[in-house]
Amino acid sequence: MIVYTLKRLLAGVITVWFIATATFIAMHQVPGDPLLNDKAVSAEIRKNLERRYGLDKPITHQYLIFLRNMLPPNPDFGISFTQQNRRVNDIIKDHFPVSAILGLLAIFFSAAGGVLFGALTAIYRNRLPDIVIMFLVILGISVPSFVFAALGQLLLVNVNSLMGYSLIPVAGWGSFTHMLMPSLVLGLGTMALLTRLMRTSMLDVVNEDYIKTARAKGLSPQRIFFKHQLRNAILPVITVLGPQIAVITTGGFIVELVFAIPGLGRYFVQAVQQLDYTVIMGTTVFYGAFLVFMVIVVDILYGFIDPRVRVQ
Amino acid sequence: MSENILEVTDLSVEFTTYGGTVKAVRDVSFNVERGKTLAIVGESGCGKSVTVQSIMGLTPTPPGKITSGSAKLNGREILGLPTREANQFRGVEIGMIFQDPMTSLNPTMTIGDQIAETLMVHRGKSRRDAFNQAVELLARTHIPEATKRAKQYPFEFSGGMLQRAMIAQSLACGPAILIADEPTTALDVTIQAQILEIMLELQRTENMSIILITHDLAVVARIADNVAVMYAGEIIESGSVDDIFYQSAHPYTVGLRSAMPSNTGDRDKQLLPIAGSPPDLFSPPKGCGYYARCPYAMEACHESAPDPYTLTEGHIARCWLHHDDAPPTDVIHRVTR
Amino acid sequence: MSVLDFSPARRTAQIEQLTRPSLSYWQDAWIRLRKNVRAIISLYIIILLGIFTALGPVLWQVDPALQDLNQVSQPPSLPKTAILVGQYEPWKGIVIEDFPPEAIEYLEMVDAPMGLRTSDHPTTQRVRLIWNPVHGASGYNIYRNQRYPEDFNDLGLPLGGTFAGNEVSYEDRLSLESRSYYYSVVPTDGFDEYESFSVVEIIPRTSITLDEARSRGLLPEGKTIGEEVSLKFHPFGTDYLGRDIMARLMEGARVSLFIGIFAPLFYVLFGVIYGGFAGYFGGQIDALLMRFADFVVALPFLLFMILFKIAFGIGPGESGIVPMLIALVLLSWPSTARLVRGQVLKIREQGYIDAARLLGGRHHYLVLRHIIPNTIGVILVTLTFAVPFAIFTEAFLSFIGMGVAPPHPSWGSMCNEGVKTMLSHPHELIFPAVFISITVLAFNLLGDGLTEALDSRMRARE
Ligand SMILES: Nc1ncnc2c1ncn2[C@@H]1O[C@H](COP(=O)(O)OP(=O)(O)OP(=O)(O)O)[C@@H](O)[C@H]1O
Ligand code: SF4
Ligand SMILES: [Mg+2]
Repeated sequence: MIVYTLKRLLAGVITVWFIATATFIAMHQVPGDPLLNDKAVSAEIRKNLERRYGLDKPITHQYLIFLRNMLPPNPDFGISFTQQNRRVNDIIKDHFPVSAILGLLAIFFSAAGGVLFGALTAIYRNRLPDIVIMFLVILGISVPSFVFAALGQLLLVNVNSLMGYSLIPVAGWGSFTHMLMPSLVLGLGTMALLTRLMRTSMLDVVNEDYIKTARAKGLSPQRIFFKHQLRNAILPVITVLGPQIAVITTGGFIVELVFAIPGLGRYFVQAVQQLDYTVIMGTTVFYGAFLVFMVIVVDILYGFIDPRVRVQ
Repeated sequence: MSENILEVTDLSVEFTTYGGTVKAVRDVSFNVERGKTLAIVGESGCGKSVTVQSIMGLTPTPPGKITSGSAKLNGREILGLPTREANQFRGVEIGMIFQDPMTSLNPTMTIGDQIAETLMVHRGKSRRDAFNQAVELLARTHIPEATKRAKQYPFEFSGGMLQRAMIAQSLACGPAILIADEPTTALDVTIQAQILEIMLELQRTENMSIILITHDLAVVARIADNVAVMYAGEIIESGSVDDIFYQSAHPYTVGLRSAMPSNTGDRDKQLLPIAGSPPDLFSPPKGCGYYARCPYAMEACHESAPDPYTLTEGHIARCWLHHDDAPPTDVIHRVTR
Repeated sequence: MSVLDFSPARRTAQIEQLTRPSLSYWQDAWIRLRKNVRAIISLYIIILLGIFTALGPVLWQVDPALQDLNQVSQPPSLPKTAILVGQYEPWKGIVIEDFPPEAIEYLEMVDAPMGLRTSDHPTTQRVRLIWNPVHGASGYNIYRNQRYPEDFNDLGLPLGGTFAGNEVSYEDRLSLESRSYYYSVVPTDGFDEYESFSVVEIIPRTSITLDEARSRGLLPEGKTIGEEVSLKFHPFGTDYLGRDIMARLMEGARVSLFIGIFAPLFYVLFGVIYGGFAGYFGGQIDALLMRFADFVVALPFLLFMILFKIAFGIGPGESGIVPMLIALVLLSWPSTARLVRGQVLKIREQGYIDAARLLGGRHHYLVLRHIIPNTIGVILVTLTFAVPFAIFTEAFLSFIGMGVAPPHPSWGSMCNEGVKTMLSHPHELIFPAVFISITVLAFNLLGDGLTEALDSRMRARE
């Protein structure tokens, strides 16, 4: 297990290096001088920046500087081009927690909902609840997240105007009520996917021999469901959670935009729109590292749940 | 005359599928005596598993449906009981083990916990007591280092060990009957013998009855007391093991015997496979199910299904050859009345 | 019971025959697919979408970039008419000479203005309000709301005001539409408002000036001011710039479907070649190639789409479709490559490739003859599911402004614009969103159907 973890971590580090390099190359493909866009930079700042990023040096040198700056434990992502005097590290530090809370809630909603609805559809297979839920699942998979975000907001507006006062805030951040709708909307697509997966998984498990054994042992249907079926059916669902974190993270960009949430995603999109290169590079590498390690974390956690992996 | 612990009469089971209704089991009757072994033999798909699973209430309904019959356990009807009541005898009075031990145990639960679960549910034991008893049960099925093994998961066991664990599990509540549905088919030949040995040993110590489903006539000859031969959903001959082997009264039984290698003299004996395949259970023939393959078939066999003929006490065969008017044959044991 | 005949059976040799005719893999798959109602409906929807995209612009010849300023943010409707009006002429307004402009004495409370009405027929060119002066008022504020104001705090948009008690008229020309407005007039003491107001509901008539109508070719012979002309027909309404949504949907379909179909085609093709190559040669080459694929998979997809889009840059006048296509291909091929490699390895294990090789088959012949037909089912399914994925990606990028550059419409960028006016004009979001959803839904259901139809496990189960 420890060897496995170390191997995974090493592969993760290499992947992050790959991401950083790809980011660097991509950014150097940008036509023109990154410092010479319409956001005029004063000569002094320009000189500072040039020295700092070694822009006057050959590209291999710049690459090494870039890599050295990224090194843990104190990565330094530089200073924003457009927000004067704001360090990219600070932007990440200030806004990532917001995105993280949003994402965690969304993961929670989607996992809980996916397992619950998936189990329900399997229990009521081919009957009304199954048909209704699966119809919604197909919708959930086919409707883009920004439409859900817009509809969610519309719903809140209508609910509030119906109530005559602001029951749930339509946008912004701060209290738990702010978080509800955005995280629900964010988790919806993943929830649909997980529901589908859980359903297939449940139906596979029902036909397994060990369920027949459990029945032959004289266990109650409830006990069989919770002790034998559910646990085995959830396993494949957990394995896709890792990659789904990436989906939820990028989905967060849109939700943060629509609901005006001060998360890192919104700043990233803003930076992209304003071509704020340091912020783009910094957040891309940060996000990349975050996602790579989240996948590893989920895989290792999975090992604790599935004995077949744990022991090996 | 020993006492019948389980009496099954006229059991019929159907499956409704897209292709039509499969009459998987038709009018099956047999008895299981206390402390004795009943073997059910027959070729693949003839309804052996469906028969025992229906008794246990394990056939999925739908598509399955028990259309008639009764099964009395110690005189009490157990067929078609609601789950809650069925659970009072399942795992308690009747234990069951399956063909493939690799897939028959929950992969995410330790062996010990799975055995203990039965005791906790039916005997109301605490988890610790149940687990300790599970370790004892494992030891009784000759699993070495049972204490350590009980904490392991199924994938850490070999096939033979898993089948022993399955036996240990089904024995937890001291059942009167152990149903073993092809318990050794998925195992190595050497392991097969060990598993059967363990079953026989436990049968002796617990005075337990066994229903053994198998394709292997050699096994039947060695451990069975009584035999039921199934063909196309029907029991076409049943009787004591001697009746079946030495006084076979049905052409199919004779065919099965010739298809079986024997170790008693007769080295030149040819193994004769039975040509053809069983009838379509979607629409069973109106006459004898074996008609198409039977070397002794007569016109009557095509027209109507043969009656069961009781040849000697407990020896029954369904074949027109036992009709008084039928011509005698060389191999079929006949009783002339 | 009838008399039984115990003579030996007169059996005619029974020849067992397979009653089912044997079908080829594809015939069989097609029959299965046809039975799947959802998949077939989806197939029809996809065909309809194709027709909409290809033939639409021929049948509906409206320039998607043309702005119809008479009908901005118009919800879907039947053809509309407008009243012809003259050139806008400034209005002096009404000042009542014998009424004091300033209140003679300060009053705690004043009455609401009486007789609030329009001076003539209200049109979308202008609405002219007049009212009776209020005793004690030194000015008036005018508000406009889209629903009936519940109380003093619910008067809506402040339009402006007059600054004398005898100035009792107001002209509203602020983006008027043909719908009901609730105008409120509140008297003031010159600075602060009194808590009294009167409300009037007004529905301005859609209007068009003579010159405008003439320049847009909407003016039939002989029509003159005061008469009606029919406006351009916008079945799906118009967007916030007055552009025809139907025409834009058709144009946007080209972009979305182009990316949705060609990106998967290219990357699946690349993945097939890459994976086929790796699987076919195996060993070191395979290990190396797949390790590289693993790295590409580990790249966070949408982040790198954004990054690549920036890196490629979009010059002026370009739509940015090609960079998006390239980025999609560069990032998406590994999954197909893995899949195909797995299939190829499986087929190789089955030995008939070796058998063919022993018989002297040449390499590329072997690949084509055996591996392609055996993997094409999987590839087809991958391709079907790749389409919604690409459409989603395009929509996502366009939504955050990183996709197709304006003024080229795509369904994603239309949604982006629609979200901004979502509360007042939901149709601008709903139409493109519905088109995306239906397309994605259809391809998903078709993909499900294909998977089932081609799945040989299901074949064995029956
Ligand atoms: N769930 C089911 N649905 C439809 N038909 C079934 C089902 N279960 C069993 N059958 C049918 O019942 C018949 C008897 O099956 P059964 O499993 O009892 O055979 P068996 O004698 O145990 O064979 P084997 O030796 O292969 O285990 C089969 O022909 C099968 O088609
Ligand atoms: S009844 Fe006829 S066909 Fe059937 S086994 Fe007996 S002899 Fe053969
Ligand atoms: Mg069986």
